[in-house]
Amino acid sequence: MAHQAHAYHMVDPSPWPLTGAVGGLLMTSGLAIWFHFHSTTLMTLGLMLLLLTMYQWWRDIIREGTFQGHHTPPVQKGLRYGMILFITSEVFFFLGFFWAFYHSSLAPTPELGGCWPPTGIITLDPFEVPLLNTAVLLASGVTVTWAHHSLMEGERKQAIQSLALTILLGLYFTALQAMEYYEAPFTIADGVYGSTFFVATGFHGLHVIIGSSFLAVCFLRQVQYHFTSEHHFGFEAAAWYWHFVDVVWLFLYVSIYWWGS
Amino acid sequence: MLRHITNLHQVFRRQISSSVRRKLENKVAEKQKIFQEANGMPVHLKGGIGDAVLYRATMGLTVLGTACVIYELVKAAVPQKKA
Repeated sequence: MAHQAHAYHMVDPSPWPLTGAVGGLLMTSGLAIWFHFHSTTLMTLGLMLLLLTMYQWWRDIIREGTFQGHHTPPVQKGLRYGMILFITSEVFFFLGFFWAFYHSSLAPTPELGGCWPPTGIITLDPFEVPLLNTAVLLASGVTVTWAHHSLMEGERKQAIQSLALTILLGLYFTALQAMEYYEAPFTIADGVYGSTFFVATGFHGLHVIIGSSFLAVCFLRQVQYHFTSEHHFGFEAAAWYWHFVDVVWLFLYVSIYWWGS
Repeated sequence: MLRHITNLHQVFRRQISSSVRRKLENKVAEKQKIFQEANGMPVHLKGGIGDAVLYRATMGLTVLGTACVIYELVKAAVPQKKA
């Protein structure tokens, strides 16, 4: 039986890039069809396809790493580079929205009343729910670090508890933010203030949900004994992503909620 | 009221720890055996019949979706005669 004479991972042929690409095509063209012809069928089909692709692709990666042993040190190094590059791309994504916010708020036009916040906008008090949200995310940064140390020290029960706490804090943030959105005295349609506020915080909220989901998968994997004290890159990737989400919130809080109020 | 909450907490803890001990055994070694078996199956089908069902469903949606997109885009591109 032939064995590889190198430490790298030559992956099996996989159908998921194709299904994912078609899913993306269906989502985007489905969005256009929904806007113009009021039918959501294509978009729903695309969403289902993307969810199926994500589930199966990531399931396969877990199989390749945890069950087949393909994630050798050089392979893990590549995965680390990959996650860092991905998070960097997301930083640039948010940078764009911050650029838009500062562009409009540093030189407010006469149409806004020449001031920021614009005339007629009732801003949210930064020292109420937004401050609580800040505390919640900072606390979750502490609990995820606690989880990491527990993992490295082989403390299974503590790792499970601290990971669960992190996820609960993430869900708490999401619930609080959803309530804020519902109660806000302005909407996305309220000029450039509304646009910048809801697009920036909205994409952040989406990333909180993504990060919470990633952590939840790590929770299930930890419960099923997938992680060892030396090898738990999936968890580290989730923790990096979570810290990134936390930092973005800090920038949002200081810029939009506090300075912008 | 407070005693009720602390008692409930203990019950909860007791139930959780006993269920953890009972149900969650380390099954990684079994999975490793399944996925390292030299049967020539690619990783996305190596888990058994469930994999094949999910794969066929996904590929079915992919083919259907591609057909739908082409149909919708052609329909959107051709101007409709108003009746």
